[in-house]
Amino acid sequence: MTRMHKTTLLGGAALAVLLPFAASAQTELTLWHMEQPPHRVDRVQMLLDEFNAAHPEIEVSQEPQNWGEVYAKAPAALAAGAGPDMLFAIPDFAPILKGMGALTSVADFVEELDAEHDFIDSTVEAYSYDEGVWAVPLYNMSMNLWYRPSVFEAAGIDVPTTWDDWSAAAKALTADGTYGMGLPANQQLYTDQTVYSVMANGGASEIYNEDGSLRFDNPQTVAAYDFYNGMLEFSPPDAPSWTWGEAEACFASASCGMIMQFSVISTYDTQAEGDAADLGVAAIPSQDGETHNTIAYANAVMLLSRDEGKMEASKTFIRWLLKPENYGRFLNMEPGLFMPVTADGAEADSFWSDPMVEKYRSQIETVIDNSANGMLFGFTSGRVFPAIAAISAQNVLAETLQSVAVKGMDPTEAVADGQARMQDLTE
Amino acid sequence: MKRPLRWNIALGVVLLLLAALVLAPFWFVLTGSVKDPAEIIARLPTMIPDNFTLQHYTKLLAASDYPIYMLNSLLVATASTLVTLGLAIPAGYAFFRMSFRGRETLYRAILLAYAFPSIVILIPLFGIFAKLGLVDSRLALVLVNVAFALPFAIWLLRSFFAGIPVEIEEAARLDGGAPFTVLRRIMIPLVAPGIAAVAVFAFVTAWTEYVFASVLILSDDKRPVPVGFSGIIGQYQIDWGLLLAGASLSILPVVILFAFVGRWFVAGLTEGAVK
Repeated sequence: MTRMHKTTLLGGAALAVLLPFAASAQTELTLWHMEQPPHRVDRVQMLLDEFNAAHPEIEVSQEPQNWGEVYAKAPAALAAGAGPDMLFAIPDFAPILKGMGALTSVADFVEELDAEHDFIDSTVEAYSYDEGVWAVPLYNMSMNLWYRPSVFEAAGIDVPTTWDDWSAAAKALTADGTYGMGLPANQQLYTDQTVYSVMANGGASEIYNEDGSLRFDNPQTVAAYDFYNGMLEFSPPDAPSWTWGEAEACFASASCGMIMQFSVISTYDTQAEGDAADLGVAAIPSQDGETHNTIAYANAVMLLSRDEGKMEASKTFIRWLLKPENYGRFLNMEPGLFMPVTADGAEADSFWSDPMVEKYRSQIETVIDNSANGMLFGFTSGRVFPAIAAISAQNVLAETLQSVAVKGMDPTEAVADGQARMQDLTE
Repeated sequence: MKRPLRWNIALGVVLLLLAALVLAPFWFVLTGSVKDPAEIIARLPTMIPDNFTLQHYTKLLAASDYPIYMLNSLLVATASTLVTLGLAIPAGYAFFRMSFRGRETLYRAILLAYAFPSIVILIPLFGIFAKLGLVDSRLALVLVNVAFALPFAIWLLRSFFAGIPVEIEEAARLDGGAPFTVLRRIMIPLVAPGIAAVAVFAFVTAWTEYVFASVLILSDDKRPVPVGFSGIIGQYQIDWGLLLAGASLSILPVVILFAFVGRWFVAGLTEGAVK
């Protein structure tokens, strides 16, 4: 046997012995997220491929899920030991998994990331309660008022800043088969979000008192519901059944003069005119015209693995994802919809250099500005009441609106009923 | 007796209205899937597309996992149909032919499966399947689909067996045919319309099942069409072209199935239990 053959054989034997160890040393992680549209899945996969190539000891794979199912599916999968290692969340969702003991506090990890990237405080606050931080914020969303400047100009109206202006503008734009303000009244999450955006601009942002008792039933809430119901007069007749997509279509087809939406950029660019100069975005008008608030919430990632090695590998992945050179590309899986939760992410070249973001830069800057006053019911003023998860899951804000808009109930009575319903759900 | 002309005209108008009512949604979905994006969401919908485009189909088939979802649905629905038939035919015959204690009670009790809303057993079923290692497998969907289609299939087929003149079966028996031979050689060919009806019912039930598939399947590459497709179309931002193209393609297998066995299916329903 020649020396070369010997070397080859020995090398082969060594590989045969070591390869299984090398394979077993690789930590496999499963990521569940709810960003299912194909282009978002592709973007996540592109980032995973890069991460996996740069970290041969870790293999992260994605399993996209649906928001409509994950509330039932994740608890069942975790209870059966078939859950993921990382799972995306919104503030309403995290208390459900925390309640079943599936979460470990990541306070130290979030502190480490905060020191490096500087989180927007409110994004961390929504996941901070019961002496822990239960998820790592990843991307922000906030509700805005969208309009077309050319339509406003033709109608001789300015961008509304007060409720009176808003109502007058909606009325002026309602003519010839077009509707001034597309608003939903469906018993669904979108309506929760638009109703709360109006409430938050009418001094009714607090659902709870300091002591945790409900304060939904108050004159400001009643006034917000009354105003919202009045604005429905300027919405299309099918609006009570809308979700986000129908509102966007109404705006993109120029059937609605204004809508409230997180973002319309992607749809406006691909399904409407796509003229960046004629896409306006503003803060949602407030009752007094001074402080403009809106619903906003950060999507986050929960680290679920009980295995120390997997937990550490998950953290390695999150550290990598939040690096400015990667983070912007992650946010731009849906340009114009997902906003940064970190200070360095908001300045990252990887975020601003996306062609769609470059085209709609001024709109995106306004969205980021508006999100500074973002809040979420049950998670306001630095206080978190996890019982809000049950209220949110049943869409009680929207249900209360339906009592007014569909059943014709007086707003005072409907809001009182709404609070009673919230009480029932949290007892 | 000849109908007066005005009655024929009235009948024609009513039939046209009914056809329009049934076909209009299909028309809008199919034509919408070949319109360009702006035309789909236009304020005034067009009956005939102004511009013809296949861009939504191209995007659906090239940029999403829709073809994989279709394949999964075909596998699951076909397997569910075959297993349902394989169990329902002998069971229906046994309920018709065999005498045993509690036959009528059991026959009525099997329909109790329909009394439970599926959502009620979703979580316990997930736990059982997890213990059996069946979570995230197509086999789990086949089992669930069969469990839900089987009771009605047995009921339907027993009615068909009961509709066959007893003399035919007796003649076969006198010729020395064993029960299984009689079933295979004589009874099955005679209840072919009923079998077709059950096949269509089982296939469509499996093809459209959503609740269990949405929870029992975890991996994207094992999802059937209803679950996978609901994710493709998005939540905050809906790609309407993609939605319409996917909806058009999703009805294709059912349309094809009806084209082949539709006549038998109608005959099955009119001659069988619904008679």
